[in-house]
Amino acid sequence: MVEVTRRLLRTPQGALGAAVLAVVALVCLFGPLIAPYDPEQMDFLGRFAVPGAHHWLGADQLGRDEMSRLLYGARATVPPALLATLAGTLAGAIVGTLAAFAGGRWDEAIMRTIDAVMAIPGLLIALLVASTLGAGEGGALLAIAIAFAPGMARITRSVALAVRQEDYVAAAIARGETGLRIVFAEMLPNALAPVVVESTIRVAFAVMLMATLSFLGVGAQPPASEWGLMVSDGRGYLHDAPWLVIVPGLAIGITAIGFNLLGDGLRDALNPRGER
Amino acid sequence: MSPAWLLRRLLLMAYTLLVVSILVFAITQILPADAAVTMLGQDATPAALAALRAKLGLADPVWLQFWHWFSAVLRGDFGISMRTGLPVGPTMLTALSRSLLLAVCSLSLMLVIAIPLGVLAALRQGRALDLAVGLISYLGISLPEFVTATLVLVVLADRLQWLPATGYVPPSEHLLDGIRHLVAPVLTVSLVLIAHVSRMMRSETIDVLASDYVLAADLKGLAPPTVLLRHVMRNALLPVISVVALDVGYLLGGIIVVEEIFAIPGIGRALLVAIQNRDLPAIQAGALIMAATYAVVNLLADIAYAVLDPRLRYG
Amino acid sequence: MTTRRAILAGAAALGASLPLVRTRAATVMPVNGGTLRVSVDQAAGVLNPLLTRVNPEYLVSELLYSGLTRLRPDMTAEPDLAESWSADPDLTTWTFKLRSGLLFHDGSPCTSRDVEASFHTMLDPKTGSAARSNCGPIKDVIAADTTTVVFHLTGAYADLPVALAYTNAKIIPASIASGDMSVLARSANGTGPFKLVSFEPERQIVVERNPHYWDPSRPHVDRVEVLVYPDPTAEASALIAGDIDLIASVQPQQFGRLRTADGVTALRVPSGQFLNVNMACDAKPFDDMRVRQALALTVDRQAMVGFVAQGYGTPGNDTPLSPAYHFYRDLPLKGRNIPAARKLLAEAGYPNGIDLTLIASTDPGTRTQLAVAMREMAKEAGFRITVQTMPHATYLAQVWKKGNFYVGFYNMQATADAIFSLLYTSSAAWPETRWNNTKFDALIAKARVTTDEAQRKDLYGQAQMLMNQEVPSVIPVFFDLLAARRSYVEGYALHPRGAVFLLDQLWLGAKAPRRG
Repeated sequence: MVEVTRRLLRTPQGALGAAVLAVVALVCLFGPLIAPYDPEQMDFLGRFAVPGAHHWLGADQLGRDEMSRLLYGARATVPPALLATLAGTLAGAIVGTLAAFAGGRWDEAIMRTIDAVMAIPGLLIALLVASTLGAGEGGALLAIAIAFAPGMARITRSVALAVRQEDYVAAAIARGETGLRIVFAEMLPNALAPVVVESTIRVAFAVMLMATLSFLGVGAQPPASEWGLMVSDGRGYLHDAPWLVIVPGLAIGITAIGFNLLGDGLRDALNPRGER
Repeated sequence: MSPAWLLRRLLLMAYTLLVVSILVFAITQILPADAAVTMLGQDATPAALAALRAKLGLADPVWLQFWHWFSAVLRGDFGISMRTGLPVGPTMLTALSRSLLLAVCSLSLMLVIAIPLGVLAALRQGRALDLAVGLISYLGISLPEFVTATLVLVVLADRLQWLPATGYVPPSEHLLDGIRHLVAPVLTVSLVLIAHVSRMMRSETIDVLASDYVLAADLKGLAPPTVLLRHVMRNALLPVISVVALDVGYLLGGIIVVEEIFAIPGIGRALLVAIQNRDLPAIQAGALIMAATYAVVNLLADIAYAVLDPRLRYG
Repeated sequence: MTTRRAILAGAAALGASLPLVRTRAATVMPVNGGTLRVSVDQAAGVLNPLLTRVNPEYLVSELLYSGLTRLRPDMTAEPDLAESWSADPDLTTWTFKLRSGLLFHDGSPCTSRDVEASFHTMLDPKTGSAARSNCGPIKDVIAADTTTVVFHLTGAYADLPVALAYTNAKIIPASIASGDMSVLARSANGTGPFKLVSFEPERQIVVERNPHYWDPSRPHVDRVEVLVYPDPTAEASALIAGDIDLIASVQPQQFGRLRTADGVTALRVPSGQFLNVNMACDAKPFDDMRVRQALALTVDRQAMVGFVAQGYGTPGNDTPLSPAYHFYRDLPLKGRNIPAARKLLAEAGYPNGIDLTLIASTDPGTRTQLAVAMREMAKEAGFRITVQTMPHATYLAQVWKKGNFYVGFYNMQATADAIFSLLYTSSAAWPETRWNNTKFDALIAKARVTTDEAQRKDLYGQAQMLMNQEVPSVIPVFFDLLAARRSYVEGYALHPRGAVFLLDQLWLGAKAPRRG
């Protein structure tokens, strides 16, 4: 673990990604402490205030301070997206690896069921699940996790199938190791690198999917300062107050880039071929 | 890839669609809405609602309702929209054809740009080109569609006035105008795809380049272009096919936002409208047709996978 | 002070805009021909004119079908299929005289039998038409001879000609009305100024001039293409680029941009369209009037016009009548008074404040903005409000007419009676607040049968004071209606009703582009 971290920070992407995400993490932890205003406090005269001395990042249609909303909003945005991805990845990776290892009929049965779920596009699943659960952050989180799981299972399986052909699994089987041990000690770690790359991309996707669900009215609830909600709220004023889209849009973009960079760094650091 | 294998896959696809039908039907059963209220609207009297519920068979056991619906679907009858009173099957198929047009254009543009871009970036790893490609793909992948769509709109339609801002004209009706209306949405959709796939292509190419058999080929003295074509492309394409197949799902469902902004009456928007209006037959038909399309594309991807990687044998 | 100015401005704008259009129409000769492209913000899914529910559907329905009367921008009735009408002295029997030689699109004659059958179908609860509860107290409709229709009412009703201009009170062939109505879901056979060419509810609806229309001087354009553009930003861009000629309804966010664009004329008219916060007066905690009054005292109404309507509106005073209504009563605008609100809340038994969940449908988006602004304004007085949004269909199925605390949104109605008895009387078609105030009911019932103008004004004035005092719902803001046209589109007056468009009256000026 320490070794991986050390190698991760040695790659330029990994170092940059870690730095970006460290800032994001700090904002999540301490944002509310450094925010200049209450993020929900309206100010009639300050509506659409241009970024400046009073409002560093401007103010929105209700005169709420954009900077404060951004700082508070990190908590409403990043942890849920991360959690949703983690849940979806974990579920998918386990199922995918099991399917690849089990092979034969079990593999078929599992993969056909997954195919069936996957045949319904992710956003549609998320939309239907969120519509059924009722609008809210929790529903959106679960919806994204469910939408991600089958795709992750499929990717994990295709990687694991290739891994399965490799010598060390054959060696483990020849050594007479039990199935579970092979899955967890040999296959999962080796299948991990591409899965990690994919799931870091998906954290960014998750942030955007959250935003999209908010855009379509089934995500975070106003007056939450969830970044996606801020973008979709601000979109109507794009021509008069472009910062209302640019500021939270950039925040989403930077966070997503951070996760992408970290993923690439991890990929290089975790590459099992590099070890040998 | 034997005929028997293909037949098996087709049977499995039918099974997939059966499972999807059950799933979709189940979801529409638990969606919080009252079909009778949806159909009669705000001014319905309780008596009229009760009469309609009886007529629709809403009091029947769920499995019987499913059977009525499913057997009609097998005959090609998806039912009547609760909102418009029009048959939903033909409506959804028309919508699908427009989404497919958008999808095919976006995928083609993506393939033409993303694969060479990814390979080039891998070959020039760490150099200026690689960094530029990386930056572009990071941006493309990290901006939500309604931001990119809005940027495309502001720049190409508002500022430069090169393209119409919104709307859809069938190319069959008016070729030139139809294409003009497609450019902005295709650009928006393919931006995300290009970013996604060129990243994948780059990382896979690097992987394969570093692998033993490329090194071996190098040792054998094969010319670099041959190595690139025979080994790198072929092996790197495998996961890319997987990702492209995944992206078709994104394309079919996820372009909802793009279809909404550019007013393309595709299946994504039709489904969104159906979900918002709790138009249950339209949701069922739309989701099932979408799933069928996806299943076909997936089958094609699996076939391609099997052709490209003979190591994989299906039990 | 501020109220007064706003009202005067509103009245002046309303008064000024109408004669202006008339003079123009009188001096500039309309030009015939051309194709009009008009955009709407959502699909016109329902084509059957008896069942339409949203503004884009009304727009299409109005092109294809006619009623007996139609609504002028000053909210009076003008003759349409009926050329004249009269009532007996006690206002319970009305006789409408149809024009002679009326034809449906398919060339078949339109007579009093079709009118009779259409109204029978509309009034049948099984049809589910909104016309049933919005066309006045009709008992029966009888065709006396081919061009004479008699309406028998259950009680006196002075507003019948205006009520019959209701959006869903359209005339369809008797054979369809008493036969299979489902053909109207995809085809149209009316007496309107245009005939249906093609119907793609999610993309575009095309109509062309009806050669059989009763008025040979209208319509002016040969063809109308109704385009569905769901994204307001893109819709505005399309008008600025000249892809379309008219936007039927513009969001406040886009208005500033359209006002300054070249070749575009932005249109604005004060209206009685409003947002409110509905409270169930028959359930805790709102059965205690003091809670409702306290909430009303937390609202800064002038600020609300800015927050929710971007300044394009008038503050509301907890009655559904805006200055745009004929019987509007100018009451002093309620101010924000937090100590008084706190005191009322404490008296009602909530000295430590109260927790509430305010539900807002996401359509239109201003509902959510009102809810969020309401939450912030009421916070200080001890209202701890959680905002919950939901898709419109879920809202209609679960909350509307059932919920205890939610945001409502309504078009301006043609008459004071129409809006009061739609929402606030005990027998209201949409009993959202269950206020059930007998004194109020009596005032409205009396005004309904009163013909003396001054007396009516007084009765409606008392009704407004009662609502202002007892607050069955908080009505903080009225919206101005906004639209925009290319400057070459002439003869178009933005209608304050919101559901009436009169596109047959406009024409394309010399600078209009030619479209094949």
